[in-house]
Amino acid sequence: MSTDRVVSAIEECVASRTPLRIAGRSTWLDAGRPVRAERTLSLIDDAGVVSYVPGDLTLTVRAGTSLSEIERVTREQNQWLPLDPYGSPDGTIGATLATASAGPLSSSFGLPRDLLLGLEFVNGRGEVVRGGGKVVKNVAGFDLSRLMTGSWGTLGVITEVTLRLYSLPQSDRTFTVRLRGNQKETGSLVYGISTSPLTPYAFLLLSGSTSQALGLGEDPQLVIRFGGNEALVRAQVEALSRLCKPIEIDSVTWTKLRGLEYEAHTVVRVSGLPRRFLAVSAEILADDIPGIRTYVDPRRGVLRVVAGHDSETLPPNASVDLRIEPSDSTHVVYEKLDPYVWPLVSPSVASDPLSQGIKKAYDPYNILNPGILGDVM
Amino acid sequence: MTQSALRAASSPSVQPAIAERFSEIVGGQHVLVRQSELLVYNSDGLPGYRRQPKLAVFPGSREEAIAVVRLLAEQRLPFVPRGAGTGLSGGALADDIVVVGLHRMKKILSLDIENRRATVEPGVVNLKLNRHVAPHGLLYAPDPSSEAACTIGGNIAENAGGPHCLKYGVTSNHVLAMTIVLPSGEVVELGSKAGERDGYDLRGAFVGSEGCFGLAVDITVKLTPKPQTVRTLLADFMSVDQAAHVTSAVIASGIVPAALEFMDGPTIRVVEDSIYAAGYPRDAEAVLLVELDGLEAGVTADLEAVRQICLKGGARNVKVARDDAERMKLWQGRKKAFGAMGRLAPHLIVQDAVIPRTRLPEILSTIHSISEKYGVLVCNVFHAGDGNLHPNIAYSADDPAESERVHKAMTEIMRACIDAGGSITGEHGVGLDKMGYMEDIFSAPSLNAMCELRSVFDPERRSNPGKVVPMHSCREWQAVPASRLQFGAEAESPPLQAEPSHPSAE
Repeated sequence: MSTDRVVSAIEECVASRTPLRIAGRSTWLDAGRPVRAERTLSLIDDAGVVSYVPGDLTLTVRAGTSLSEIERVTREQNQWLPLDPYGSPDGTIGATLATASAGPLSSSFGLPRDLLLGLEFVNGRGEVVRGGGKVVKNVAGFDLSRLMTGSWGTLGVITEVTLRLYSLPQSDRTFTVRLRGNQKETGSLVYGISTSPLTPYAFLLLSGSTSQALGLGEDPQLVIRFGGNEALVRAQVEALSRLCKPIEIDSVTWTKLRGLEYEAHTVVRVSGLPRRFLAVSAEILADDIPGIRTYVDPRRGVLRVVAGHDSETLPPNASVDLRIEPSDSTHVVYEKLDPYVWPLVSPSVASDPLSQGIKKAYDPYNILNPGILGDVM
Repeated sequence: MTQSALRAASSPSVQPAIAERFSEIVGGQHVLVRQSELLVYNSDGLPGYRRQPKLAVFPGSREEAIAVVRLLAEQRLPFVPRGAGTGLSGGALADDIVVVGLHRMKKILSLDIENRRATVEPGVVNLKLNRHVAPHGLLYAPDPSSEAACTIGGNIAENAGGPHCLKYGVTSNHVLAMTIVLPSGEVVELGSKAGERDGYDLRGAFVGSEGCFGLAVDITVKLTPKPQTVRTLLADFMSVDQAAHVTSAVIASGIVPAALEFMDGPTIRVVEDSIYAAGYPRDAEAVLLVELDGLEAGVTADLEAVRQICLKGGARNVKVARDDAERMKLWQGRKKAFGAMGRLAPHLIVQDAVIPRTRLPEILSTIHSISEKYGVLVCNVFHAGDGNLHPNIAYSADDPAESERVHKAMTEIMRACIDAGGSITGEHGVGLDKMGYMEDIFSAPSLNAMCELRSVFDPERRSNPGKVVPMHSCREWQAVPASRLQFGAEAESPPLQAEPSHPSAE
């Protein structure tokens, strides 16, 4: 598989006006989104490292390369890509960027848009376009990398990407704190950590049902990850221990947590002002709905609601009853839903004139993932 | 008839009625039409280029800015949004068209300490925002060397960087939302002040669009907590090559310094001769300024590791600033180095290019050979940590032979950076200066994709026309007759004017 093959596939579809579904490794596929396509273009065979100079801390790979393969290649050089989207580690980097999927590390290392240095994609006319570059700082030309990140394959098929890497930290430790107290105690502990000088790699609050699914007991838990040199991590653990009683756990918990969403049929992300989330997170955690797992990233201001891992205990339409009330200061993003639920939430997130204009310019025949973002055109 | 309208009437080339209408929006004292008054706006931070604007208008509020853009739209007039004019790529030059100066819009509209964000007008000066938030233990991370003068609006246009972007990221990483006025006069919100949105990243597309997509009337930025500890060290070397290798070694070690800056011998000496003298050793051939920040324990360990890397790499001395005053002095030399170079010659080319970090020793040696070949003095002062070079040449633009040599040397330096797999600009933007290199790093379909993106925001291409992407790269634009637009319609910039870093004698 090469860029040429993507070009030919798109050219054929243009000629016959055949809508095309773009797929990476199909681990998340279209998240149940209502794509209207007759043909699937899979990038599964278009994988591998294009260039990797460890001293530059940059990596260029084909878009079909899996996250686990990137982890393997970089680990050999004592480096990593601190991008840990929810879902399967077999997912591809192309799909991760196309969907702008981010995980617990994003509140320290940035969102996918911040880790992508440059890319190659094929637009809806079959033209090969490059944006950004292969160096860590670059303002040459308009920012096509950010434009493509999160566009769900509707503007072009990402074929190659250059990413910013980091060295693996000397020390990387994960702790949990059981949140057994009342809401007020939980609230003040979370507030205390958030306003302290601590700089954790990741910091999440898990509902009781989430904790249970991860084998951490029935109570809500605070999970916190520290990385850096030995002295830094030790000092942070000591500082945390002055606020609460942390217990060290295996870092595999993070992988398990990400995996919870792989099997789910419904994933909803609610985001808002971080402080507002701090204020309500204790309440959210206490209000455990059976069959629904929730977790909060209070620094990023994100609540994730996950359902459908165990569909026989969940009524079929429970996935839309998630007790989420959108307001001026929060945004609700449906990441994954049962196909029949999509029409109820009408995910038309690119219906403004600018987005429509970009879509028309980059995919004039509306053949790339039509419908995945709602009715763009 | 207002005073400015009277002045406009005496200027043969501007329709008096238009100046009058701008005056009705912003007040007569905020509209300039006299050629002598407009001289101030005929260049930006690159002294090699001058273009005389036709008219300048300075809105003082969001409403005025919107009304000005709407009038420009109604009259189909091209215009150039301008902040403080400190840009270094000729991006704010207005060739016989309207300048919309936003420096009067300098209100900090709101500050949300708890959620660490601020909403500001585009004319707020970068350092003023930082001073405003400092008492709350916060900072605004992007810190271009022109921070004392440049505006947040200008920073957005250029996706500005600065020394501390090594750890904290460039402007785009710190912008959450904007209210923009499209060249059509339509007002649009991009990004989100509260939670993260889905949909196309229009905010990401707008940042770094160099004024070609319209202008921002308010900007919500992310603020960063001030680090608990900041330590700065200065390592000096008797060879450029040693310092370059040490830079690569620090990056490869996995330590992420807050900043890692490089100054070569000529830069050290010009700084030490100036009022910005920072106590750099005059006989050194290179110094590295390394800053580490974060929690005390981590910083102490990293500081020692960096010190060892420097010594192992051949540093003659490694000096750690003992207090804030010493730290500020070390930084002053770095931040004012461009100013200090004014001592060498009347004109200065500040170049901006990026290379992969492992290629640093090799490129610095190439730059040295090129400077000898053309008999020009290159001062290297740059963000070594992210491979962002600033080779600068001081010269006299009045000497055509010297100008020619400088021009050739700069072209060869840029060529070497492109050949090394780098970029033509890391933080100064393409503007007019770098447009000639765009085809060297981007294919025709890539440039056309950029044109198409711009056309969505500005279908009439009236906002900062003739910048960033060479017009002949834009398929659909070739077909549009320029006669549709009023004076100063976008035309293909002749190669002479757009020639990269061409020092034009005034």
